[in-house]
Parts: sequence; C-alpha cells; structure tokens
Amino acid sequence: MPPVSDGEDLLVQRLRDRDEAAMTLFYDRYSAALYGVIMRIVKKEEEAEDVLQEGMVKIWNSFSSYDASKGRLFTWVMNVCRNLAIDRIRSRQYRVGTRTQPLEDSAAVREPASPTFRPEHIGLQEMTKKLSPDQQQVVDMLYFGGYTQSEVADELNLPLGTVKTRARAAIKVLSKLIR
Amino acid sequence: MDIQQYIESGILEEYALGVLPEADRAEVERIAATYPEIRHELNSIVGGLDTYAEAHSLTPPSGMRERVLAGWQQAIRAEQPAATAPVAPVAEAPYTAPQAAAPVAEPVVRPIGSAPQTPSYEEAPRRGFGWLMAASVALLLSLAGNYILYNRWQNTETALFAAQNDQARFAAAQQASQKQLSSQGRELAVLRDVQFQSVTLAGTPAAPSAKARVLYNPATKAVYVDVHSLPAPPAGKQYQLWALDNGKPVDAGVLAATTAAGDSLQQMKDITSAQAFAMTVEDAGGSASPTLSTMTVLGKML
Repeated sequence: MPPVSDGEDLLVQRLRDRDEAAMTLFYDRYSAALYGVIMRIVKKEEEAEDVLQEGMVKIWNSFSSYDASKGRLFTWVMNVCRNLAIDRIRSRQYRVGTRTQPLEDSAAVREPASPTFRPEHIGLQEMTKKLSPDQQQVVDMLYFGGYTQSEVADELNLPLGTVKTRARAAIKVLSKLIR
Repeated sequence: MDIQQYIESGILEEYALGVLPEADRAEVERIAATYPEIRHELNSIVGGLDTYAEAHSLTPPSGMRERVLAGWQQAIRAEQPAATAPVAPVAEAPYTAPQAAAPVAEPVVRPIGSAPQTPSYEEAPRRGFGWLMAASVALLLSLAGNYILYNRWQNTETALFAAQNDQARFAAAQQASQKQLSSQGRELAVLRDVQFQSVTLAGTPAAPSAKARVLYNPATKAVYVDVHSLPAPPAGKQYQLWALDNGKPVDAGVLAATTAAGDSLQQMKDITSAQAFAMTVEDAGGSASPTLSTMTVLGKML
C-alpha cells in the first residue's frame, strides 16, 4: 500500500467512531479533489454541490462498508462520489431538471472529454501530456463518463480489444508517474 | 496461479476503473489479499487513477463549505432522527489534528437546539428558490421567444398564402392571354390570307342595320363569319348561316352567342361551293332548311 502517513488512518478512526466533527476535517481535506471530479462529470456548480453533499451523506451512512485493507480512503470516497455523479447525469431527474437549459448543455453531458479540458490544476496538463489523445479519450469515457468498455467501443466504433488495450496502456502510464 | 499472467490480463485496470461486475470485483480483492505481488500491482494502478482524479481538483466556491456541511448534517439527522436526537454538544469536543496543517477551524456541528437559527441552514432553501427563479425566468424568456416566433410564423404563413394566390391569379391570366393571343393570331392569319374572299352580308328589310361578313376560302373550303352588328335573337333562337350554291341553301352551322354579339371570328362548317351567304333566325341548334321569313342578312360573292 502507498504510505498513509498524513493522518488518513486517524480520520478513518474518527469516522468509524461516528465523530460528526470529523466530517469538517473530511471536507477540508477532500472537497477540492471530489468537487473537481464531480464538476468534471456533471459540469454545473449547483449539481456538483448537490452531488458532493449527497456523497458525504452516503460516505457517513455506509462508512462501515469501508475496508481499509482493500484500499485508501481517498479511493473509496472518490468512487462513491464519482458513481453518484455518473448516476446523476444518467438519471431522468437530471434530464427533467435541465429541460429549460440551453441545448448545448444537455447534449454535451455524455460527450467524451475534450483533450483541451483544463481545470485549474497544474498537474493535469503534465499528466495528460504523457497520454496519447486516444488513450486519454478512452480513460476519460470510462472513468468520468461511466461508460462500460463495450459502450466505449460502440461509441468510438472500435473493436472491444482496442478499447481494452488503450485503457490498460493509459492506466500504466498514469501509475508509472507515481511509482 | 500464474501471477504475471494475471497482472497482464488487464483485470486489475478494469477493477480500478470500476467497470467490473460485483462478483469479479470481490474475486480481484480476494486474489489481491492472497498474493502480495498482485496487491502491490493493484495499489499502483489504483494510485495512478487516484492521482489522475486528484489532478482535476477544483477549489469549491466560497460559501459552499458551510452549505454542504449544514446540508449534510441536516440530511443525516433527518434519516435517523430518533437515534441522534439526544445528541450531546460535540462541537467543542477537543480535537487536535495530527498535523498542524489541518485544524478544525470552524466546526459547524452545533447543539440541535441552536441549529434552526444558524444562517447556514437558510442557505439551502434560498438556493432552491434561486433555482426556481432561474427556471421561471428561463420559462418566461422561452414563452416570449415562442410568442415572437409564433407571430413571425403566422405572418410568414399569411404572406405565403397571398403570394400563392397572386401566383395562381397570374397563371390564370397568363393562360387566358395566351389563349386569346393564339385565337387572335388565327383570326389575323385568316384576315391576312389572300386566299380568303370577303363576302359582305347586308341587312334585309327585316333588319336594315344588320351587317356581317363571311370569309371564304374556296381552296380549303374554310368558312369564317365576322359579325358587325345583328339584332339579339329572341329567347330560344339562334342565327344560322347558309351557303347558297346554285340557289340551293346549304347549312354552314349556327353562330355562337359571342359570335352573334360581334366578339370574334367563328369558323363555320366547310363549304364546297357557294355563290352567296345568308343568315336566318332558327330554333336553337339549327334547322335543316332555312326559314326564309327570318332572313336577316344576305350577300353575294363578287
């Protein structure tokens, strides 16, 4: 496991003890990363805020299902929020809510990421520079778009094997960056 | 089990991306727990994606911290009101972060009694109201836009109908002109044709002012009649033209009302030979032999 020296284990312990004040700490520690990914998926500030709050409720209520031996807290909470955000863009409720919005907003929700997408973080450009545009497109559709690998293959008109190869290559590149 | 082969299979990447079904996820976790090498590989794969996710970090807008924490607290209390209602004030619980960088600067967890009065609680409905306002404004704008577009559409529709009517009218007028032009062209051709002999029919004592003309082409046997003036025939009666060949009357056809009124030339039946022409008033449809008492005009060929 990557080193967990920055107090994550203590936070985990407090959350396990149902310490409500620990959620403030949780927010200060993870909100930027969670909010960035949620925004990347739902693309609207109000929606992202709703999803983050919903995610925190879910993390609190189902915290007993978090198993630290299986992975970092960060990974777990990121997946909770990412899945909620993906559910949100796929749900009917979302579509009803956006009915009076401009057309380009609602149509763009499930589009694959543009390689030029540039949030206010210095690390992203450096990371994506290591990925080919093809690799980034596939990994973004899988990770942020909630697509299955077969759906990506359909969408991009590629053989499933090619999609799998690109996804694996992309993740290899990303994990090499932190080794 | 071949660890290297398992790592190469790509299932760990699929696990990290969250695209595996639940049963396969559990299997990956079981295997990773058994083989440290696989656990290590899985951690670095997950770590790579985590770093990628973290690279998308965005600082949330100001004010969101209080709203989200208050909303979270409201939600967890609403879900288990009985269990957490008698909660003790935990806000001031002494907690020091392991690192100095993470102090609990502003705990928002407060005794339940003071909760409804905190301003942060009122943010949520206000934000909902803002949404409603935005939606209402969007709807109003949309309605206004629709009204304008509907009016424009209506105007366009009206203009289109008018244009189509005009077009139909012009087409009909043009067709009529064309027909008139071709009939006048034919009349002119007859009048200019030197083969046609003109026979002037003068009024008889029964109708002294009557006057007509017959154009006869002995070569083609064609006969045209051209009326200058004739008394209107009685109801149920028609003028009939007769060719007189060696004193014997030959039917040359009846005159249409427009011809009798002098509107245009009318081609009559072909006549093989004639020395004179005459018109009588007969029953509508014509007679086999002329009623001599009603002879109106008569003229001899020169």
